[in-house]
Amino acid sequence: MGENSSDENEFDDWFIESLKIYNNIHEYQLEHPTRVIEWTSEKTICVAGYSSDKNEILELLLPLKLFADDNQGLCAERDFKVVHGGFSDGSVHCLKHIPGTRCVVTNDGFSSNVQVWDLGGDDCDVIKRTGVLQLKSASSDKGVKIAPGLTGGPCVLHGSRISDIQLTELASGKPFYSLGTDIPDLLSSLQFVSASVFLACACNGDLYVGDTRKPSALQNTPAEGREGVHWCMGVKTDLSSSDPSSCSVARLSSSCQVVVSDLRDLRAPVCQAQLDVQRKTTNDDFMNVTWAPALDNCLAVSGFDGMVQIYNTASWRPELMEFQPLFVHRGHMMSDDQFDTSSAVVTTHVWHPSRPRTVLSAAVDGSVHVWDWVHKATASC
Amino acid sequence: MPEIKVTPLGAGQDVGRSCILVSIGGKNVMLDCGMHMGFNDDRRFPDFSYITQQGRLTEFLDCVIISHFHLDHCGALPYMSEMVGYDGPIYMTHPTKAICPILLEDFRKITVDKKGETNFFTSQMIKDCMKKVVPLNLHQTVQVDDELEIKAYYAGHVLGAAMVQIKVGSESVVYTGDYNMTPDRHLGAAWIDKCRPDILISESTYATTIRDSKRCRERDFLKKVHETVERGGKVLIPVFALGRAQELCILLETFWERMNMKAPIYFSTGLTEKANHYYKLFITWTNQKIRKTFVQRNMFEFKHIKAFDRSYADNPGPMVVFATPGMLHAGQSLQIFKKWAGNEKNMIIMPGYCVQGTIGHKILNGQKKLEMENRQTLEVKLQVEYMSFSAHADAKGIMQLIRMAEPRNMLLVHGEAKKMEFLKDKIEQEFSINCFMPANGETTTVITNPSVPVDISLNLLKREMALGGPLPDPKKPRTMHGTLIMKDNSLRLVSPEQALKELGLNEHQLRFTCRVQLQDSHSDSDTLIRIYTHLKSLLKGYTIQHLPDGTVMVESIVIKVSSSAEEPNTKVLLLSWSYQDEDLGSFLSTLLKKGLPSGLSSI
Repeated sequence: MGENSSDENEFDDWFIESLKIYNNIHEYQLEHPTRVIEWTSEKTICVAGYSSDKNEILELLLPLKLFADDNQGLCAERDFKVVHGGFSDGSVHCLKHIPGTRCVVTNDGFSSNVQVWDLGGDDCDVIKRTGVLQLKSASSDKGVKIAPGLTGGPCVLHGSRISDIQLTELASGKPFYSLGTDIPDLLSSLQFVSASVFLACACNGDLYVGDTRKPSALQNTPAEGREGVHWCMGVKTDLSSSDPSSCSVARLSSSCQVVVSDLRDLRAPVCQAQLDVQRKTTNDDFMNVTWAPALDNCLAVSGFDGMVQIYNTASWRPELMEFQPLFVHRGHMMSDDQFDTSSAVVTTHVWHPSRPRTVLSAAVDGSVHVWDWVHKATASC
Repeated sequence: MPEIKVTPLGAGQDVGRSCILVSIGGKNVMLDCGMHMGFNDDRRFPDFSYITQQGRLTEFLDCVIISHFHLDHCGALPYMSEMVGYDGPIYMTHPTKAICPILLEDFRKITVDKKGETNFFTSQMIKDCMKKVVPLNLHQTVQVDDELEIKAYYAGHVLGAAMVQIKVGSESVVYTGDYNMTPDRHLGAAWIDKCRPDILISESTYATTIRDSKRCRERDFLKKVHETVERGGKVLIPVFALGRAQELCILLETFWERMNMKAPIYFSTGLTEKANHYYKLFITWTNQKIRKTFVQRNMFEFKHIKAFDRSYADNPGPMVVFATPGMLHAGQSLQIFKKWAGNEKNMIIMPGYCVQGTIGHKILNGQKKLEMENRQTLEVKLQVEYMSFSAHADAKGIMQLIRMAEPRNMLLVHGEAKKMEFLKDKIEQEFSINCFMPANGETTTVITNPSVPVDISLNLLKREMALGGPLPDPKKPRTMHGTLIMKDNSLRLVSPEQALKELGLNEHQLRFTCRVQLQDSHSDSDTLIRIYTHLKSLLKGYTIQHLPDGTVMVESIVIKVSSSAEEPNTKVLLLSWSYQDEDLGSFLSTLLKKGLPSGLSSI
């Protein structure tokens, strides 16, 4: 049939092209789709289901072939290994690893409970729930955003609105710090940039800077956004620098714009761009913007459709202009078993912490891809 | 209780050879008889001492079943049948029967001729062993004897691989061997019906993995071939005659034109003939797509793939060559390898496992200098790529198979229990069945609950229906009375009266008599009346009669009083009852032994 053969052609074209545009690519099919990918060590990630009923949380070991480097040819091992697994009674919308521990925390995207889990060690492969933090939060059915503390004892920063942002110690459940403001705006993203300085991005695009050492200090930078537009944020920290303010913040809007700001001067954005994206989904839930940890001026965007786009911000300007991506990963839209590609949507993506161009992405059909793209131009990316 | 016992032979945690013993309904079956490729001594063979300490295995085993031709599933078969001793039937599919002896002979040559081992089976032993083979067709029930039957199902994985159902009466076990749930270019996916076996036995090796897609593996293969050819290098792909070779050829053929490749692709002639021959014989085992192409044209009439001549190996310029044998231990692939190994522009792609002792094995372990037969050293400068194309089911696949077969219990072999607790929990939760994970050498006993079908007579059924009440269903069984007649091969449930009639028997009546002594100064008849009154007051709700013939009747129990002339105060009570009233009768005799209360009125 005509339709099938044109689909096949499109797939074949992409397949041939993939030989040149990727160094490596691995594609996996989970039983249930995930909207979280969280690094738990240099070689392991956690994924979890988000159906309304019972879900699995899995800790996966990346294939050995990816790390073989010199001897890659002699290593045939291409599969994920499920090293630990557990069951969650509810959906998992958010999953964060607490650095320096074998502990992760999750939230279901509706309630204000944060579940605490022990991933387990060598002697047992079951992920067990060790506790629940019942958080006092302003009414919201959008769940809680979580940012793990970077140093010190295990603690998490969390909130559903700007007004209820709080830092809680995991072991005791006691709050260390509260923002103490009555700004009711819904929270979209939350992240620490240093041991005590954190950024909070509201759904309307406003950016707030807080310091857990100074409870009432809060800096606000509104986004130049229209009403009704949803925003999220990605933060690039230079952890080698002792100055917490040397970090870039990218804010992504649901109208496919990215605004890049520097923490040292939040008054005006450093640059911005209109992305080359045709939105395929009206859901803002999966919007995601991240900076490449091991490359300069390189960010990845996903959540509007079945693609992950990589942009080089070095050529961006303070005025809004359209820019083309440096690289586009189309793998999630290329299915060789008649999956309807128009409904493919990427739910999340993450960069490998040290390998410069390695990215992991997941989509609504349960696919998880690990890909290493080839840099063509000689830009700083 | 009826039970099925499963024991994976082997020791400790070693994975790498399959040999499982199943005891079901009084029958003993051996599933697979693999060789452990990692050992050079007797540890490579399964430990048959579990079956018997010494002597032949024939009387201890009802049959042996081999799932497919991979050496870790059939490598120890000639050793078992000819050196330990087994003369019973060995079951395997037709393709397995054709391919096994070739692989076994190859393997034997490498081990004995190249490595100089002595405690190994001979060529004649392989032939003698194969004479005991009874071939199986898919979905065909085979009676091993009048109680044991087996049936093979399509497993995918490699040509001829089967999953096997073993059945005795209403108890059954399904063994998967190696299988895959996603079809590939030349094999379909495993399939089984909802046969609901008591136990589904499977490997756990891949149960905790999530497999990289086939297209990514293929992409890697194409990319490596393409890169080598672009830089002017030559690619050698050593293959066995069947299976992967066809798959990779189809892949190259499909994309060569699209990729604008001009370099020639060759297929050594030995391969072509053999492969053609086998594919014609076993066409039903490949998937739908291939079957169609084969019918339309010859398997190896590829546009871009030509027959190889050994003089071509010296031609300049890039090329791709598929040649046998697969492990580089002899023949054409080794000859070509010797010519090409010294050039770093060239590449060798090993698409499968290589046995220890072969050159293939050595270069896959990174060896750069090889000592050849004539004491000459060969430097390995070409790029070595190890690619695994074997099709295995993963964590998702196991769940799919369980959903298909609906077993009552799951059993996973060759895994470490503490590394599979999550999988066990998952299976137990999703399907509400037990999941067992025995260590090698450990026996798992699974209690089965076989249903025994029985015919019920119409009269008995009507009688039960007339009693009213809810209709029986599997969740609410009803107790009923009847007689089970087992005659010849039929089981019938009939009423006791009918059973007696059929058997020409009369129903016996059982009566008990008991004598109780009482001291009582009244007359016999007065004592009787006193007894009557006593019982009447105690046993309310029972029919108690004082009859004119001088007896008291409690239900059907008869009580008489008598005494001797010499001792008129010693009354002897005679109690008599039928078997149906045994309980009441015993109760009365115990009661009356206690004597009569003094305050009883006589009249």
